[in-house]
Amino acid sequence: MDKMDKYNDTPVKLMLYPAILFMIVGMTIGTFIAFNAFVFPDYFSGEYIHFGRVRPVHVGTVTLLWLLSANIGLFYFFVPRLCGVSLWSPLLAYISAGIWWFTLVLGVFSYPTGTNFGWEYAEFPNWVSAIPTKPLLVIAWLMIVCNLFMTVATRVYEKMYVSLWYAMGTLIWTTFTLLVGSYLVMMVPMGISRVNTSWFYVHNLVGLIYTPMGLATAYYFLPKISNLPIYSHRLSMVGFWTIAFVYAWIGSHHMLHGPISQWLQTVAGIFSIWLFIPVWTVCHNLFMTIALDWKQYIQSAPIRFIIMGVAFYLLTCIQGPLMSLRNVAEITSKTDWIIGHSHISLYGTFTFFAMAGIYGALPVITKKPLWSNKLADWHFALNLWGSVPFIFALWVGGFLQGMMWATWANGSTYAQFHNNLVNLTFVDTIAEMHPWWTLRAIGGLIILFGNFLFVVNIYNTIMLAPSKEPREVIS
Amino acid sequence: MSKKNDGFIHKLDLSAILTVIAIIVLFSCSIGVILLAPYFTETAWRQPSTPYQVQMYEISDPNFYISSTPRGQVQERQLVYHLKNNFTLLAFQENEYTRIIAPDDLEKYVTYIEDTKIKLTSRLLLLRQYTEKTSKKAEELKNKLTTEWEKAHPDAAKEGISKPAYVVLELYAPETKEAFARATTDGIIDNWVSEADTTFMESPQQPYHNDLGVIYVSNPEEYRIAKYKYNQVEYWRYDPKGIPIASLEQLKSHPLGFMSRKELISFGEHLYAIEGCWYCHTDQTRTLVQDVVLNGSDSFPAPPSSPNEYIYQEITFPGTRRIGPDLSRVGVKRPSRDWHKAHFWAPKTESPGSIMPTFRHFFDNSPSGTPSTALGIPNYQFEAIFQYLMTKGTRITPPTEAWWLGKDPIKTKEIIEGLRTLP
Repeated sequence: MDKMDKYNDTPVKLMLYPAILFMIVGMTIGTFIAFNAFVFPDYFSGEYIHFGRVRPVHVGTVTLLWLLSANIGLFYFFVPRLCGVSLWSPLLAYISAGIWWFTLVLGVFSYPTGTNFGWEYAEFPNWVSAIPTKPLLVIAWLMIVCNLFMTVATRVYEKMYVSLWYAMGTLIWTTFTLLVGSYLVMMVPMGISRVNTSWFYVHNLVGLIYTPMGLATAYYFLPKISNLPIYSHRLSMVGFWTIAFVYAWIGSHHMLHGPISQWLQTVAGIFSIWLFIPVWTVCHNLFMTIALDWKQYIQSAPIRFIIMGVAFYLLTCIQGPLMSLRNVAEITSKTDWIIGHSHISLYGTFTFFAMAGIYGALPVITKKPLWSNKLADWHFALNLWGSVPFIFALWVGGFLQGMMWATWANGSTYAQFHNNLVNLTFVDTIAEMHPWWTLRAIGGLIILFGNFLFVVNIYNTIMLAPSKEPREVIS
Repeated sequence: MSKKNDGFIHKLDLSAILTVIAIIVLFSCSIGVILLAPYFTETAWRQPSTPYQVQMYEISDPNFYISSTPRGQVQERQLVYHLKNNFTLLAFQENEYTRIIAPDDLEKYVTYIEDTKIKLTSRLLLLRQYTEKTSKKAEELKNKLTTEWEKAHPDAAKEGISKPAYVVLELYAPETKEAFARATTDGIIDNWVSEADTTFMESPQQPYHNDLGVIYVSNPEEYRIAKYKYNQVEYWRYDPKGIPIASLEQLKSHPLGFMSRKELISFGEHLYAIEGCWYCHTDQTRTLVQDVVLNGSDSFPAPPSSPNEYIYQEITFPGTRRIGPDLSRVGVKRPSRDWHKAHFWAPKTESPGSIMPTFRHFFDNSPSGTPSTALGIPNYQFEAIFQYLMTKGTRITPPTEAWWLGKDPIKTKEIIEGLRTLP
């Protein structure tokens, strides 16, 4: 009992519990969009709920209010435990959490009223009415960074586990990336310089924030929950350094064939291919860890989440480098394939990791076993089987869409090209997407239902007395 | 734990410090190479495509005013040029049905129908309906033209051709240094001449007058308004016999409420951001055959987007996904204001199969309560987004050397037909 009381877990709860709630909110908005914008376009219509105004709310809710916040909560959980000391300043954590939630909720849910900043993934507004939301967010983030770094600095365990490396990397990268995307983008000259900066930010957001955060979580919780040692510490270091080296260079692959210098596109392509290295090391490392005892995959939902997350990670990172090849991008770029790709990484991989982390941390912070393992099994099953129609519909549909667009290039004279376009107009190719979009929406509904079970399970674990189902507390 | 090593640095061991330093070094390296270096090595990132692009954004847009919210009757949108002496270039051109009469000292400014070169001046002159003084001369000219036409078309009645209504305008020099005028324009593309077709009537007064080609205002007539009352409410309308606009403040403030095209474009860009247009529409013609064909006209492909097209944009929206067509050439593909009005009102009716939402908040109700058309009255939001869209693809090259006329500078057509290799 001594050991458990050593750590103050209130900051963890302050970040995790609201994040779980916002996950459901964000996914509900996503499912709403899937139906209202694509399956039954504009069943509900109006100035404030059309697709363009609601989409950023979905993206903002699931990326910032859910995934980033949940990962910070998990950092608050495992960074002190890996350092052997309690969080440096719980008070600072309470204050930062207060600012964090206030400003994020205000900023993200103000998008429909017209506060969208206008850059991809950087929609967060400078001001909402008289409240400086973006500066407040940056301040809250810097408080979190300061708190976690001081925890590392005051640690008693000398050896630093790989999750700590990833955590420290995330804290530095996120700070830079946040500043680039929020401020630098409007300071550089107008036009393509800004576009280039924006894509730099966008890819760093995924590659240098969510990736190391998710991997830190996976590297901590997989050995912890399975009680198996990590396969290779050295391999995890190779992964860490290649991520640090590669990600910041690849932003321009969002502009392949676009109005940006060819050499930048090539540089981005080359570094994207290098991404195979960190991905294979991470996947190999985590798979080899669980390979010592595959039975646990069947027995434990959080392990299933991590391992399926790793599988999705492998998929997304095979796709990513290939999509940055010019001839592949010619077909996949600007289609729904891209939407599928972003969902498999942020949802299929990092949301899965975060959920596993929550399953791992919850019994410790509540000092109660999970309310129902059966519900957790269902949660995993519905997430997995919902994500299949969801993501594969976007891939297949997007690929077919890209192939249809490519038919315009059949022939050798402009008359032939133009004739192709007359025979298959742009709106025709959109109409062809309808069945795939329907399938995606159904998949989204299944996932939403599965995550609703998750919330019920979490809520009951916190609020109810432990059920009689036997379960050991993981510490 | 020894007290000596209590500092922050000592507690982070060497490997951690090296990690932090290495991360920052790697990150800065990439910032230097891919964010900062291109600005110095890539001239197209900062140099405009043509003098025409510069003039449109810097000379034309700030001095071109559009009535975004017509008050009173459902009247046509009003386009007004703000002319300044020794700044705005003017041309007074006769055409098939228009003739210009001028006092002796101003005759040299008129480009007569037989002239081959357009005469440009930066002296502030205006056209008006002929006055009593000149009416005799004007009537004579009109009669002469009508008789000539009748001679040339003896069987007009049989062929069902109606007699043209000739217009005779009088050139005069106003006493003011600036004026507000209506002129011949479509509101999207401005008049532009190549050097060979112009004569300047005086030495260049402004740096832009020296540009290779130059934009000018054609046949300006003073913009006058009349106020009237209807149901106790005061309204205004265009009236050639009304009172002139006294100042820029009057033009921009209530009840006239004009906005410059520059303001509208910038506001349109803001609307494009907050309405989330960019989540479905890309704004780049990629270097792919399918893209140049998609954005091309019936006979010519659109040239791929070039970085300098975007240099006047606060926010640029290259986009990640196309579930609506690409918009980088929309000013050429869809220049019709009426089409956009109908399309924003009901996209699914206007282009069947579209999943675009309606934008009814770009329209107001008719003030009389009974709309005379099926659509609402487009408000300043519509005008702003329309003006923003009309900049797309129309300003790369001067209209006289436009790609839609087959004069594409990079020869996209030859390249995609395989007759030419990429430079």
